[in-house]
Amino acid sequence: MVCPIFIKPINLNASMFPNDDMSSVRQEISLLELNNRVKGVLQQAFPATYWVRAEMSDVRQNASSGHCYLEFIEKHPSTGQLLAKVRGSIWAKTFHLLKPYFESETGQAFASGLKVLVKVTVEFHELYGYSLTVVDIDPAYTLGDMVRRRLEIVRQLQEEGVFALNKELPFPILPQRIAIITSPTAAGYEDFLQQLTNNKAGYMFYPRLFPAVMQGDKTEESVISALDKVYEQVGNFDVVVIIRGGGATSDLHSFDSYLLAANCAQFPLPIITGIGHERDDTVIDMVAHTRAKTPTAVAEFLIGRLDEAAGLLDDLKGKCSKRALEVLNERRSSLQLLMATLPALAGGKIERSQMLLQHLGMKLPVLANTLLERKRVSLIRMGIALPGLAVQTIDRKRTVLDKSENGLRQVTSELLSLRRHSLQLNEQFITLASPEHIMQRGYSMILKDGCIVKRASDMQSGDLVTIRFADGDKDSRIL
Amino acid sequence: MEHKEESYNEAIEKLRLIVEEIEQGELEVDLLSEKVKEATRLIKLCKEKLYKADQEVKKVLEELD
Repeated sequence: MVCPIFIKPINLNASMFPNDDMSSVRQEISLLELNNRVKGVLQQAFPATYWVRAEMSDVRQNASSGHCYLEFIEKHPSTGQLLAKVRGSIWAKTFHLLKPYFESETGQAFASGLKVLVKVTVEFHELYGYSLTVVDIDPAYTLGDMVRRRLEIVRQLQEEGVFALNKELPFPILPQRIAIITSPTAAGYEDFLQQLTNNKAGYMFYPRLFPAVMQGDKTEESVISALDKVYEQVGNFDVVVIIRGGGATSDLHSFDSYLLAANCAQFPLPIITGIGHERDDTVIDMVAHTRAKTPTAVAEFLIGRLDEAAGLLDDLKGKCSKRALEVLNERRSSLQLLMATLPALAGGKIERSQMLLQHLGMKLPVLANTLLERKRVSLIRMGIALPGLAVQTIDRKRTVLDKSENGLRQVTSELLSLRRHSLQLNEQFITLASPEHIMQRGYSMILKDGCIVKRASDMQSGDLVTIRFADGDKDSRIL
Repeated sequence: MEHKEESYNEAIEKLRLIVEEIEQGELEVDLLSEKVKEATRLIKLCKEKLYKADQEVKKVLEELD
């Protein structure tokens, strides 16, 4: 509920500044008097209380008085340029109630950097000047602002595709070499080391501190610089742990940082957070590989991973020895069985062999006799059959011979008659072709000096020739 | 058999294979005892990594300053 600010017009009348430069008599007033007048005007002008939105800065509590002093500022939403600034005070009796209320509602330490909605009175003190005195606070506004801011960072990281990168890193089986980013003076650090090194199972861990400021304005820069140092040694570590001891409330605001979140998300080792907050996750928790509530819980988580590894090892060991023993037992019992049955087996075998031998011994004469008898019978049979066989053979041979003889005779006579016939033909032909035969048919031959004359030119007039007829020769002279 | 020292992951993987072999295989007794010997070595190696301080790691971390 913000009350409208009603500014009463300031009346620059004579009663207030009766003598200006124009007047002849110059009236002087003291600074105190002026300040008192300003105070009076302000009190008149801002008589009520006002709900004001602002960011807190430089929040500090006076240890002896219990009063809280701070500055309210307003920055340009995009450039961050400082636009307005005013001192603020929360008196001890208010702060005593307001602080726990705010912290239990928001889960946040009442600290610099938070945006708040406060109910204030406007003050002007003659010595300390203009300031606001806080009389009430609305934590819902701060919560809303934190959520909005967180969502904004998450959205940006998601758009850039880096939000889930650290979560996607494979977690090492043995997370033993641990880079710890924390404040060395923090109670949480001691708790963490204590828990880790005194683990019941006796696992070995190698923690290494990378100091950082864990609250206030320097947090972002300091943690990023620690991450950079770890990065230079990245091969020497398995995981990064970011822890901070916390009570019920803490200054988580500094962890809702885009730059820090972007650095964590893209870090090449899995990051485990334990920044001591019960209720809300900061953006760092959201991008970290694993989020635990407290440093002790982080240590428990790491020990748990080693428990798992040791469990797996024991399991394998158990399986190995169990099965190996089983196999050995199987072999042993089969060996024992063999040994137990061996005599019986051997005895049986010998007995069977003996029996077989006896049996054979008994059968041998009979077998021999039978064999002899069989041979004798076949011999006798052969003796009886022999003459018959011989005669048969001779007969067979004779038949073959006879057949051959007949065949030969027949072939010979056929051949002879064939020859005779051709001879007759030849004789006939020769007879028909003989000169005697031809001459009998009326032909005659002329011979000169005993030779047959075949051509007329072979003869001269006066040659003495012989004409041969079938029935005899006649000598003649050529005319 | 001399081995270059395995990483924990490598040792666990080897161990897993041996267990598988022993569990399903009809290993001869000689081979079985060899495998068991190897498994024992690997288990010892893993246990040392889990429970014993590795001086080399310690040294490296101390030298970081």
